[in-house]
Amino acid sequence: MSKIMKIENLEKTYHLGKVEVEALRGVSFEINTGDFISIMGPSGSGKSTLMHIIGCLDYPTEGKYFLSGQDVSKLNDNQLALFRNQKIGFVFQQFNLLPRATILRNVELPLTYSKINSENIKEKAIEALEKVGLGNRLKHKPNEISGGQKQRVAVARALVNHPSIILADEPTGNLDSKTGQDIMRMIDKLHDDGNTIILVTHEAEIARYARRVIHLKDGLIDRDEVIV
Amino acid sequence: MILQSLKISLESLWANKMRSFLSMLGIIIGVGAVIAIVSVGTGSTQQVTSSITDLGSNMITIYPRTPRGQGGQINNISSQEKFSLELAEYMDKFCPSIKKVIPVKQVSGRLISDDINVNSTILGTNIDYAEVNNYELDMGNFISENDNRERRQVMVLGSDLAEDLFEGDNPIGKKIKLDYENQAYIFEIVGLMKEKGSTIGGNLDDQAYIPVSVAMDKLTNSDYVSSYIAQATSSEKASAAVSELENFMIKFLEDEDQEQFRIISQDEILDTVSSVTGTMSLMLGGIAAISLLVGGIGIMNIMLVSVTERTREIGVRKALGARNIHILFQFLMESLNLSSLGGILGVGFGWLAAYFLSQYGNWPMVIAPLSVVLAFGFALFIGIFFGLYPAMKAAKMNPVDALRYE
Repeated sequence: MSKIMKIENLEKTYHLGKVEVEALRGVSFEINTGDFISIMGPSGSGKSTLMHIIGCLDYPTEGKYFLSGQDVSKLNDNQLALFRNQKIGFVFQQFNLLPRATILRNVELPLTYSKINSENIKEKAIEALEKVGLGNRLKHKPNEISGGQKQRVAVARALVNHPSIILADEPTGNLDSKTGQDIMRMIDKLHDDGNTIILVTHEAEIARYARRVIHLKDGLIDRDEVIV
Repeated sequence: MILQSLKISLESLWANKMRSFLSMLGIIIGVGAVIAIVSVGTGSTQQVTSSITDLGSNMITIYPRTPRGQGGQINNISSQEKFSLELAEYMDKFCPSIKKVIPVKQVSGRLISDDINVNSTILGTNIDYAEVNNYELDMGNFISENDNRERRQVMVLGSDLAEDLFEGDNPIGKKIKLDYENQAYIFEIVGLMKEKGSTIGGNLDDQAYIPVSVAMDKLTNSDYVSSYIAQATSSEKASAAVSELENFMIKFLEDEDQEQFRIISQDEILDTVSSVTGTMSLMLGGIAAISLLVGGIGIMNIMLVSVTERTREIGVRKALGARNIHILFQFLMESLNLSSLGGILGVGFGWLAAYFLSQYGNWPMVIAPLSVVLAFGFALFIGIFFGLYPAMKAAKMNPVDALRYE
């Protein structure tokens, strides 16, 4: 299997005034195309920092990060933005939909920021929304649908650009357990369809949907567990 | 990308209609004020200008000045005693830009008709006076060439004077007595002028007109007139006519310092008027420009609020692949939309204000295209200038921090 992602000895240090916080202290692992992994750990373990770096939102202080064979740690802001747009599909805990835009418009958003000026933006967005079962809610605003539906819109938005990795940060954190399970089953299905998925969570139950769980503790990998 | 930013920004402005309108208000008032004030300035100037040109076409008046004497000595070279009828002919001859020169002999006397008497100004002049002053006859005739040649004791009355003396009766053909320096002269009324109103030469309606020859030879027994009215061949030639007249008078009176005569032209009055209204327009325009500036600060303020309020949105957009320039354009477009929409509404508002003011002030409504372009352009500039800082602030946001923002 080809490696989609490789991180080497990743370190991240925050300078908060005079205090230095070492969020990551040398993390290394690899992910193959089509993997479904969870990054798990209590708060303060550095999993959010790791997610930000994997999501091309932040730079590591030390270490290397290769995504699709490219050294991301050497990219500038604009190249990072392009990488986020093309390679990463985000699903956030708080959904992060634009409240004033319609659902369709929300899903179209990553496409409008693509360098490829495709004319069938709308068709692609509708296609992605149909995949998550919301093809009939195109003109609704986010505040007119339920939390589970919101998260499905977010999944559609993450899928629409056919990213290399879908990065889900506590996707069930704001949902009741039943809806959360629905969302997890949907994410599981995306994995079955061949998508590479990285799930960041502190809930063991959710993490077990993945085939591999990386346990973080105090900025280091505590355990790398393969689930059979 | 620009089209897309335009769409995004319009959506967000529409979502905050009230706030958008309030932040536009400064620009609306500023642009409207600039347009209205410039319009009022031009309109009122046009009104004053046209009322000045109504007084007569291309008129230049030449008066003698009382010369300064030296010490206790009486200055015996009085310029007044050089203002002869012949001089008018010389002026006509030597100044090519002059169409005609009209002598005016002004006297004061008492006009008596039956038991009514009125103290009045009586102008001795000739046939051209009415034409040069755009002064029209109501009935009868004005002083003719024959009247002057034959020194006929005929008189034309201004409308107010006729009303005072004859109380609405037709005065033509009636006799009237002029009491001048305790001498009585009988005149026949031959004409009545239409109402003209106050002019720079005083109220023509209060005056009576007689042949200049009668005024000089019979009344005052003088060889000199009070003043001349010259008419330039065209309005383009008016300033040339003035300098020709000046040169002529300087040479003729040997008066290098122009101490013995004074030339007042309509152009000079128009210049004064336009410089006064110009200063006023400039001052008011400046105030309006300041209000535009204040409007711009209002836009900056609201944009800063908007950027802070939408920090999370900025984070989401960045996470989804928006580059800094996308965010910059989005917010810049928003402030530009605010200012241009404000500009458009302001043009409408200014137009309305100009219309009502022109109705109120009774002058023509003139909307100078330049003032519209300038005010609108300035509004756009302000939108960009004051939108740039908030937009840059938004564009520079760190996506991680922006996403965390609550």
